[in-house]
This record gives sequence, C-alpha cells and structure tokens, in this order.
Amino acid sequence: MVVEHILQGFANVMDPIILILMIAGILLGILMGSIPGMTATMTIAVMLSFTFTMEPANGMMLLLGIYGGAVYAGSIPAILIRTPGTPSAAATIFDGYPLSQNGEAGRAIRVSTVASFVGGIISVLVLMLFSPIVADAALRFRSPEFFALAVFGLTIIANVSGDSLPKGMISGLLGMLIATVGIDPVTSHQRFTFGIPELLTGVEFIAVMIGLFGIAEGLRKYSKGIGDEQDRVNQEIEGVFPSIADLKSIAPVSIGSGILGSLIGSIPGAGGDIAAFITYNEATRWLKDAVPAFGEGNIRGVAAAESGNNASTGGALIPTFTLGIPGDSVSAILIGALLVHNVQPGPELYQEETGLLYTIFVGFLLIYVFILIFGLLGANYWARLINIPESLIWPVIFVLCMIGAVALRGNVFDVWIMLAAGGLGYVMRLRGYPLAPMVLGLILAPIAEENLRRSLVLSNGSLDIFYTSPIVVIVLLLSAATIITPAVRAVRE
Amino acid sequence: MYYEDRRLMVIKKVTRNIREIDADSVKSNPLSILFILFSLIVIYSANQFPDRGELGAGFFPIILSAAIIVFSIIDIITDDDTELEMSTYDLLPPAIIIGLLVGYVLLMSVAGFLLATMAILPVVLYYSGVRSKLKIGFISVVFPIVLFYVFSRIFMVRLPEGTIPVSRLLPHLPLGVI
Repeated sequence: MVVEHILQGFANVMDPIILILMIAGILLGILMGSIPGMTATMTIAVMLSFTFTMEPANGMMLLLGIYGGAVYAGSIPAILIRTPGTPSAAATIFDGYPLSQNGEAGRAIRVSTVASFVGGIISVLVLMLFSPIVADAALRFRSPEFFALAVFGLTIIANVSGDSLPKGMISGLLGMLIATVGIDPVTSHQRFTFGIPELLTGVEFIAVMIGLFGIAEGLRKYSKGIGDEQDRVNQEIEGVFPSIADLKSIAPVSIGSGILGSLIGSIPGAGGDIAAFITYNEATRWLKDAVPAFGEGNIRGVAAAESGNNASTGGALIPTFTLGIPGDSVSAILIGALLVHNVQPGPELYQEETGLLYTIFVGFLLIYVFILIFGLLGANYWARLINIPESLIWPVIFVLCMIGAVALRGNVFDVWIMLAAGGLGYVMRLRGYPLAPMVLGLILAPIAEENLRRSLVLSNGSLDIFYTSPIVVIVLLLSAATIITPAVRAVRE
Repeated sequence: MYYEDRRLMVIKKVTRNIREIDADSVKSNPLSILFILFSLIVIYSANQFPDRGELGAGFFPIILSAAIIVFSIIDIITDDDTELEMSTYDLLPPAIIIGLLVGYVLLMSVAGFLLATMAILPVVLYYSGVRSKLKIGFISVVFPIVLFYVFSRIFMVRLPEGTIPVSRLLPHLPLGVI
C-alpha cells in the first residue's frame, strides 16, 4: 500500500513542470539563504503568491525547494564570513568559520553539503514513516483534543521564539485576535468588520504574513542602515567532492544529528536554529576528545549543526500535516499555502489526499538529492552570491510583497492590510516582541475557537469534557507548564 | 543560600517594580499600554455581540483580550529589557520606505501594476544607495515586465491595470496553453 503510494508519488514528481519548479525553488532558496539577513521564512512568504494558481503539489514543490535550499545555503556565509545566512545556520559558525580561516572553507562547505543532504533525507524518511502513525492516532481526536493542541502549540511557540514569554504570548494572542475578524463560524455574527465588505471573510492571513516577514523585516533593515559595508568573499573554493576520510569521519555524527534533529523539529515551535544548537551540543558531548577540538575547526561540528538544522525541516512538517499545528513559522506559511488551495492539513489529509502527500514526500526527498548535486558542483558560485548587495535585493522584495498581496484576491485592500501588518510588526520587533507567534496565532485561532465551542456544545456547556480525556489533560498541563516553568526559573535564578 | 538570596532579590525587584509603576515604566512600555487599551476596546465591543445563553461570538475575542491584558501587565511588571537598543535604529528611513510603498499602492490603482512598479523601483533603489544608472535602469524596466508576464500571462492572476491599460500593449507569449 505504502509502496504503491511512494511509486505513484515518484511518477508524479517526474513531471517536467514539477522538476522545473523544484529546481527553481532550490536555486532561489540557495540565493536567498546565502545572503545574510534573507531568511527562509521571508523568502517563502514573499514567493507564496507565485503558487496561488498552481496545482497544490506544484506549489508545494516550489516552496519546499526554497525551504531546503535556504536552510542548506545559510551555512555558506556562516562558514565564509561568520554570519549565518539564516538563523538556523548560527551553530555552523562554531567550527565552520575556524575551518575557513585555516584556508579550508571548501572542505567545510563540502562537508556541510553532505551533512545537509544526510539530515534532510533522514528527516523526510522520518516524516514518511511516522506521520501516518501520528495521523492515524489523531483521527481519534475530537474537538477537546484539538483545542488542547492549539493551546499547546501557541504556548510552546511563544516560549521558544523570544527572550520574553509575556511578549511572545501577547504576540500570539494578537494574531489570534486578528483571526477572529469576519463572520463568526458558529453564529454567523459579523465580528469587527466595520461594514467593510472585504473583512467579511476575515483578514487575509497571507497578507499579514507577507507584511510581518517581508515588510517588517525590510523596515528593520532600513532602520539599521542599508548599504553598510558588507563582508566580501574573495576565496576560491576548489574541488568538488569531499574526501573519503572526511565522509567516514562525519557519517556517524550526521546520521545521529539527522535523527535527533528530525525529532526536535517535530516539536511545535522548535525550528532549525534550536535543532542545530542541540545537535551541535550533543556532538560535543559525545565526542569529547575530538581532534581538533570543537570550536577550533572540527568538520564534525559543521556536520552536526548542518545535519541537525536540515533535519528539522521534515520534522517540522509532522505536526503541520498530521494535526494542522505548525511546527515553526515556515510551516505556518506552508499551511497557508495549502489552505489557499482548500487543502486543510490535519489527520483527514492522510485519508483524502494521500496522492498529494506522497508526491510531497517523494518530492522533498528529491529536493535534497538536488541540493547535494547543486551544493557540491556549485559551491564556488554560491559563495559569490554573498556579495550581492542588499540594496539591490530589498527593493525587489518590496515589489514581490506588493504583488503577493494584490494577487491574493485581486484587490488593493489586502495590500493595505499587508502594509499595516508590516508597520505593526516593525514596531513590535523594535520593542522585543517576536513575530513568529503572531503568525502561528493566526493559524491556530480558528482551530482553537471552533474546537472549544464545539466541545462545549458536545458537553452541553460543561467543562467536564476537558478533563475526562487523558490526552486533553496531559496536553493542557504541558501548556500550563510551558508558561509556568520560565516564571519559576526566573524566580529561582 | 545562594538561591535564597537570589530569590529574595527577584521578589524585591518585582515588588519594587510594582510599586514603581508610574509614568516612567508606562513610558518605557508604550506598546503594552497600547495593547491594554486596544484589548479594552475589543472587550467593550465584543460584549455587544448577541449572546444566546451559550458561548456567543464575543466569547473568544473577550478571552483573548483578557489574556493580552494579563500578559501586558506581567510584561510591565517584569520589565526585562528585551527591547532593542533604540539608538542603533534610525526611525526616518523606515518611515520613508512606508511612505514610498503607500505612494506605490496609490499609484498602482491609477497607473496599473506595470507602470507604477517601473516608477517606484528607481526611487527605492536610489534611496537604498544604488548609484549605478545601468543597474537601476535594468532592474526597474526588466523586473516589472518579467513579473507582469509571469503573473498575468502564465499564472493568469489579474494585476491592477489602472485607468490606461498600457500593459495590454505588451505582446502575448507564444506559449499556447500551460
């Protein structure tokens, strides 16, 4: 059965249009990932508009190509100029930059490419193997369970995405509040629509996402000063393939980090940055006597971080596809991309859209194969991308944001929403509010509200329904612990 | 012992913060105050929603706003300096960019996507510090045309045409049907 699905997925992926989109996504991801300050999240948010009229599978291949490409390429500037291209490459600096200073940048990039490939492939395999099991279990979930999961998703995300839990929670709750605009799903009452017809169907959350991740990020860049001197790369990177000795030395750590990174990625809220720090840390713990020491240019450090952060990509898709609860901000945007096509992520997806799912799985595997090929063959060229000045990129991104908002429904109202979200996001960023929880709040609010109200209808208004199911109790307790633990820790410290 | 001391210090700090919630801490948390006011307005208006004896349309917004108020108060009390160093941020450039983008949107409804983009890109590029006429010219002309073709001729997305649909003059791609 599963083998059939995989073969069918493979046949679907061999479509020339899908292959072109995949490769275009990877190259774009590598381009944006290589330029410091351009994150995978931003690129995917901005490029979402290109997928509106595509088949869901085609659109997902473009976006996943960007995702994989950007997470991989973030390591290139981390190694060469000590600046991570995307936040998830921060841990790659520890050993990548010392290697580059020793004149071994090429070796570091080749190792990073192979480790990214290994981590990515493992994570997609984990996704393929485990997500159907999770989806199967989730089929038995009813409204109370989904309500609890939505609450859990929000608390954990608010907790990990910034320094301040209250600020993270406020950001997430604001996102949820924005999502209540429009016709109430239960009573059909108009909420906060102010007589504006465009608001009847709610605030277009894709416009908000583009505003938060595209415009707000751009404004922040401009307020820090654009066109500042950038570190430039002049090194020639020679050779294509990593040596057999290097491959042997990184194999165990890449595989281990791949498995661990996938698991961490599957926890809602823990993205590639957290996965990479943990896998790097574990590697240093397991290989204490490594020579050269970690932090002084050990290729296994690069491999651990890179395998870990790429593995988080497939991991993050597990709660995304099976529960409809985003694993990180990128998967929140991917949920948005699916919703545009009326594909609702959740356990039913595994019953109704098996073809689409396995096309995505096989496609994601293939994306990592392409990343390996492009990464090894083109390392010398990708390194040059770092030199593209930001002053050329941001104006283009602003135009793409604009077209993204207009293309949503073909109306200018969504553009105003996007600009407003961008302005709000910028001000919030300045005051230390993380923006990822807001986007997750937007996605989680309808899940939380509908399931809360449906539960209470089921139980005739009694709250019993929330503590008679063990799963609900455990998940809600975990959410409470997520909020209370940092407070206790703060008092302790 | 050490932990005891630390705990005492934190408790002292929190109580001191609570006592000192005055003009100063309000001023240093302008957004928290704004969010509280905003939530109060939301609660007030959500309270007017019809309620048929069960959880009505207003229930969820009210709960969310109440939670925002609670967390904002916690945020003010525990004021933990998560704000970025404001002095390294210049507020004028983002204001100019927002202004340019607003102008872009307004221009787009008159002149259409293609012309508005061609008009605004050189300005934004120049403001970003690009001085090469060749680069500015190339990006401002070629990029909008490419986007126009990709969206309105391949993806069949309707882009704003403006009052004078200049973009219709562009030749069709010899694509057939994709």
